[in-house]
Amino acid sequence: MKKHHYNPDDCTACTSCVIHCPVAQAVREFQGPKLAGPAGERFRLMEDDWETALEYCSNCKNCDISCPSRVPISTLTMKARAQYYKTHKQSFRDWLLSHGEQMGKMASLTPTLANLGMNNIVSKAILKNVGISDKAPLPAYASESFSKQFKKIKQQPTANKAVFYPGCFINYNQPQVGLDVVAVLQVNNFEVIVPEEAVCCGSPLVVNGYMDEAEANAHKNIAILQDYVRKGYPIITACTSCGLMLKQEYQELFASKGVEQVAGRIYDISEFLLELYDEGLLNTNFARQEGRYLYHAPCHLRVQGIGKPSLELVRMIPAIEVIDADAGCCGISGNYGFKAEKYDIAMAVGNNLFETIKASGIGSVLSECGTCRLQIAHGTGVKTEHPIAVVRSAYNQK
Amino acid sequence: MRISDVIVIGGGLAGLTAAITAAGRGKGVTLMTSGAGTLAIGGGTIDLLGYLENNTLVTTPRAGLRQLPPEHPYSKVGSQVVEEAVQFFLTMCQEEGFRYTGGLDHVQWLPTAIGSVKPSCLVPLTMDSTPIQAASHVVVVGFTRLKDYFPELISKGLGNIPGFQKEYEEVMIDPGFTGGRDVTTLDIARWLDTIQGQQACREQLAKQVKPGSAVIIPPVLGSRPSYVVRDALERMLACKFVEVVIMPTAVVGLRLRAMLLQRAKRLGVTIMEQAHVAYTVQEGKQVTAVVTGNIDRERSYPAKAVILATGGFFGGGIIAEHDSISEPIFNLPVTAPTEREEWGTRQLFANAAQPFAKIGIQVDDGLRPVNADGQVLLENVYIAGRNLAGYDHCLEKSGNGVALVSGYKAGLNC
Repeated sequence: MKKHHYNPDDCTACTSCVIHCPVAQAVREFQGPKLAGPAGERFRLMEDDWETALEYCSNCKNCDISCPSRVPISTLTMKARAQYYKTHKQSFRDWLLSHGEQMGKMASLTPTLANLGMNNIVSKAILKNVGISDKAPLPAYASESFSKQFKKIKQQPTANKAVFYPGCFINYNQPQVGLDVVAVLQVNNFEVIVPEEAVCCGSPLVVNGYMDEAEANAHKNIAILQDYVRKGYPIITACTSCGLMLKQEYQELFASKGVEQVAGRIYDISEFLLELYDEGLLNTNFARQEGRYLYHAPCHLRVQGIGKPSLELVRMIPAIEVIDADAGCCGISGNYGFKAEKYDIAMAVGNNLFETIKASGIGSVLSECGTCRLQIAHGTGVKTEHPIAVVRSAYNQK
Repeated sequence: MRISDVIVIGGGLAGLTAAITAAGRGKGVTLMTSGAGTLAIGGGTIDLLGYLENNTLVTTPRAGLRQLPPEHPYSKVGSQVVEEAVQFFLTMCQEEGFRYTGGLDHVQWLPTAIGSVKPSCLVPLTMDSTPIQAASHVVVVGFTRLKDYFPELISKGLGNIPGFQKEYEEVMIDPGFTGGRDVTTLDIARWLDTIQGQQACREQLAKQVKPGSAVIIPPVLGSRPSYVVRDALERMLACKFVEVVIMPTAVVGLRLRAMLLQRAKRLGVTIMEQAHVAYTVQEGKQVTAVVTGNIDRERSYPAKAVILATGGFFGGGIIAEHDSISEPIFNLPVTAPTEREEWGTRQLFANAAQPFAKIGIQVDDGLRPVNADGQVLLENVYIAGRNLAGYDHCLEKSGNGVALVSGYKAGLNC
């Protein structure tokens, strides 16, 4: 299988990445992915401190999606950013945004306190003080984490087992998505295993330059998941950024033993269900759902090269109408849009999507990515859901 | 089991045209792309045929078609199909609200950023050069900090060309961009998408542009496939705008691609981005599935027919190594001169054909790949665009023309 590789000379300077970069469109201070990534790499070989507005890249990966030469542009930029922070101080704000897992753990001890702590004028002012936008759509913490709730579920034991990797957002912020995944897999005769010892995939660490910590997480996760892969179990994710990290970015960034074997068994939940369908094994006993929805494909799904499986899956439900918004990046890109100086850029990037949603007159948007959903709700005021929620309802009402 | 009637590999002009044509016939189409392709950065005009092999100019594209050798893709598909493809394209553009003009009966002469003219066939309304030929006073507009674009070069060059000998005047517009990044035509086009940009442009042009003037401008009249920006500026200034041919990145290709994607989506084409096709599964002379090889694992997609539109050397559809030449997905035979010395002529600027330009895959009249004896190798595979052997798009000015015509034909046959 052909691997992503790091030769910046594979870049022919065609500028495809520049014209498709949503951040470069929104802000002229950004030199664009070509210069931040492969072209900059050539300069960095000669000068230690060469830096061209690296901080502007949101790691949304539209450059990778548009590159005709398969240069991992965004990953070159992330590596350069990590290198830069080896000799430059990181802000407390960046530490905070990169360590959602620790925040989640603290919050799950005292969720009411945590939300009280985040969503009031005083602490918004404190967050603003460290550089987090007081306008940004920060997520609330759940009163009980997914892993705690999962333990209480009495699953129907089955011969088929699947491992579910929830990731931080589902675990600490929106556990319902994880519960829906478990329910849908059970309807399809799979017993779900959630590896408790697994840690944050590292995506928020990579974008803020905490590469060593991300690598430690990668080694840990790979070791855990590899045991299940050896038993022949598929690894399922419902967050497209976690999925991308586990299957692709680990391989691009770290030389971790077993990483290829694990990558080969990572499935997006909808992709997994569609493969069951192809084998004639999917339970298609869906109740009619009269709803109208817009669907937003997260950039971190588009770059995976598996199409839009949730769109295909949800359209199998009788009577449902789902329109592909196809309106580009929402702008949030993980924690990029939470940063005070990036908030306006993120909103400008998402504007085309927001306008498309508003013009559609449809009040419900489906998207796999948790932070995309936050940003869409923030930019438009519409209701957002993970597609798996709709699938679960279609099963429940039958 | 999900199965596509046809999988199109490649999202350039040939692949998109094939997908749209097939979907228009009611086929279930999956289009697989790897990167956004050269269409987005290219010129966006459909150059059908400007010159013949001996470097003589065609009197009209239609007349030129009759003088092509039998191995040329246009000769293979026949003039009737060329005619239909042109009509198909013009109708599609009209229906999508982004009309193109031109046809097989005359050469469209397009002014370029170096002050020359080049022959084309189907062009967006913003590139129709008749307003220049009709006007007496021509204003050539430049933009401060825009690279590789010099208004004086244009007026000086065009002033020597029959039909374009006019009274020229140059004017520079300052879009007032901040930030250190190079200014591109796309930056300016996005600025002119906004009402403020249009107003500022009007104010800076109002002095020189008299009612009835023709205004030559780089391709900046909006980033989207519509004439809203051109119409607004022409109304404000009572003049006619003509966009010139420039180096990539030319916004015109970006607009054309957006229009084609919009059309494909409307017709229900499933587009899979970053689906890097590695090989196909075959049973005898039939392909039964296309296999992608992404970084995580291989995935197999069943199909009843496949259209290959992965491009030439630049697009990665044909790969030349030091001692080999290949088509990487089907491993189809690629016709090339045996000796490497015969691939090129040494006089680079001699305006002569370069033999390597004609390297590609041999096909039958139905665009199916054939071996050296002319026998069909794969019965449900069709080749479109720069993968094809037997034409020199650079010399002939026929690149997008062959992509359109062969994409249309492949979409009809699959």
